Amino acid sequence: MSSILGTARVGEAVGGPVGGRARPRSRRTTSWSGWLFALPALVMYVVFVLRPIVTAFQYSFYDWDGITASEFVGIENYRRVLTEPELLGTIGHSFFLIIFFTLIPVTGGLLIAALLQELKLRGLVTTARTLLFLPQIIPGAAAAIAWVWMFSSNGAVNQLLRAIGLESLTRAWLGDFTWALPSVGVIGSWLGLGFCTILLISGMGKIDGSIYEAARLDGAGFFNTFRSVTLPGLRHEIGVCVTITIIAALASFDIVLMSTQGGPGSSTMVPGVLIYQLGFTESRVGLASAVGIVLTVLILAVILPIQRFFREV
Amino acid sequence: MTAAHRWIRGTRHRLVPGAAALVAASMLAACSSPGSGGAGEADTTVDPDAISTEVGDEEVEITLYDGAGLKAIDDALIEAFTEQYPNITVKTRFDPDDVQAQNAPRVLASDDPPDVARINALSDIVGNNQLTNLDPYAEAYGWNELPEGQLAMYRVDDEGVRGSGSQYTVASGFVLTGIYYNKDVAAELGVEPPTTLEELESTMAAAKDAGVTPIMSGNQTGGATFAVQMMMNNTVGKQPINDWVFNVPDATVDTPEALEAVEIVKGWVDDGYFNDDANGTDGTVALGRFVEGESLYFFSGSWDASALQDQMGDKVGFVLAPVGDSGSPLGMSDPVSNFGIPAQSDQKDAAAAFLNFLLSPEARQIVVDTGAGPSGVGDTPETEPGSLKAEVQDAFTQLVEADGQVQFVQNATSGINADWLSQTQELLAGRVSPADYLANIQGAYEEQLQ
Repeated sequence: MSSILGTARVGEAVGGPVGGRARPRSRRTTSWSGWLFALPALVMYVVFVLRPIVTAFQYSFYDWDGITASEFVGIENYRRVLTEPELLGTIGHSFFLIIFFTLIPVTGGLLIAALLQELKLRGLVTTARTLLFLPQIIPGAAAAIAWVWMFSSNGAVNQLLRAIGLESLTRAWLGDFTWALPSVGVIGSWLGLGFCTILLISGMGKIDGSIYEAARLDGAGFFNTFRSVTLPGLRHEIGVCVTITIIAALASFDIVLMSTQGGPGSSTMVPGVLIYQLGFTESRVGLASAVGIVLTVLILAVILPIQRFFREV
Repeated sequence: MTAAHRWIRGTRHRLVPGAAALVAASMLAACSSPGSGGAGEADTTVDPDAISTEVGDEEVEITLYDGAGLKAIDDALIEAFTEQYPNITVKTRFDPDDVQAQNAPRVLASDDPPDVARINALSDIVGNNQLTNLDPYAEAYGWNELPEGQLAMYRVDDEGVRGSGSQYTVASGFVLTGIYYNKDVAAELGVEPPTTLEELESTMAAAKDAGVTPIMSGNQTGGATFAVQMMMNNTVGKQPINDWVFNVPDATVDTPEALEAVEIVKGWVDDGYFNDDANGTDGTVALGRFVEGESLYFFSGSWDASALQDQMGDKVGFVLAPVGDSGSPLGMSDPVSNFGIPAQSDQKDAAAAFLNFLLSPEARQIVVDTGAGPSGVGDTPETEPGSLKAEVQDAFTQLVEADGQVQFVQNATSGINADWLSQTQELLAGRVSPADYLANIQGAYEEQLQ
């Protein structure tokens, strides 16, 4: 997550000098010395990002245990990924998680941000912002363990249900075939809500206050202002939220591994955990790479139209 | 975001050739087929004339690689070993247990491999030519006189089938599975520890009637698979299960005998003998709830003996799984650490001296003190009379005398554990029939062996 935001910031900072419009006369030297500055980062990028992608793509055409000689199998690994119901099922799970990782945090974040904007109480906004952002500083793996306790038979969730007389609903949430995946999703919602809210609040700060004032003078209520002023003003921020949280859903790994390892049965198995299991536990590096490549292509196929959509709206 | 787009668009004409060159370079670096060369070339045999059981008095340093959960036992063994061989220094390297199991093939293939390493996927690693064939040492030290039941766990033949062939490992000790029972709960219910399946089932019925959970199971981490295999041991028998785990060609668990066992466990599920949240409870939590007196039984292994003795004192007992029609006890039991000598080790004599030490009375006592069963043969090491560890030792002695050590079905391939886990979770949730349960596992097994 942070790396994507980081890239954007680096882009802004570098944009000026590399564009070189200010000093056209030394254009050639500037551009080459610019590359020199970028070289260390570029080398790291190629060695640790591009090369692994290329090798993973190559491995995906082999049957290889990671140690001994490999055997070229052509598109066999891809055929299996795209035809075996168990492998396809994991992709279905990660799409289901989008409801919890994206839909709930983005709509929830919008509502909270709009409410805070409406209330305009400085102290409250700061407190709410801090509280909402807290989950962001906890690593996903640690958060997952805390939630495992809360979802357990005697955990906080069931205690709460008992306290309000819903004893009949209590269960071991993460051990239930129907409820395990939504429960894992709740952990994702909890992690994503704060991130989206903070981003949207800061986006709102950029909307000209006079527009709100004008809307109010025209007699617009909370929902009208929200629909006609806030939403259009936040489209870039919403785009970033949607993009990042969808990637988090489709590429989910840490939360699932720490909370359910894909179980019970395979009811919460997602591609991220499957890749780990295939590649490291079962030493089927080729098949694991193929799942990884398919997942990457899938994420791009989902994200690119969304990017386009939010740029054009 | 938009600024980044602008920047990329603005610099594209210069970015493209540079990036293309870098990608091309990285492609070239990766163009040969993966995995050719490397550890496959290492020499796995040692010349019988070149080895020695004498390690002399020259300073030698060896490295031992194991799972972190076994650090305490390994450290104690190493301390006793270096007292006997002061000129040998043993360095250690530990990874978390599951990481060690996954990483061992890669660590063994590295330029600086350990000299003694725990080996989980034995036939894979032997097949990769990563382990030293210990036959010459076995001859020199007399390891080939060990009981057949132990040797089977150390041997791999030319086809990669375990159970016979050349020796590649020696165990530091043995784990053992059985049934822990809460003595207080048993006394309240007026039941004795079970020795037959009928007794086990009648005591569970008594517990259920009294509102006590019969079996506390942490099946989020696969606890109920122990119950399935305990029943399979009796209906299927030791040899067919070991053959399956050792990957003997055409071995199968999709048989009427195995089905009988799974039907028994399915019956327990239907009767509500397992805690109803078993699929959402992990092994550690299940152990804690057994300690609290929430259940009569806890199906587990010797690895929990120390913790249970500490927390429950004399309120807990241990028995082997009920004896079936064969009339002789059977239990899952395999090495605590199955130690081999990597092919690339350059201190094989010293490493073999360490393996031989594992069979000595001192090492056997150290292992027994931790609650596990001792490696090798000899007098039964001492335990505190009447303690839980003493009961575990008694059970282990019975098992070894009856030659009843059965391999864990979860170890048949490196991936099969995940299938037993998920299928047993389905079984407890009533989502798979016993017949499909076995067919699914057999299907996964055959696919993974391809």
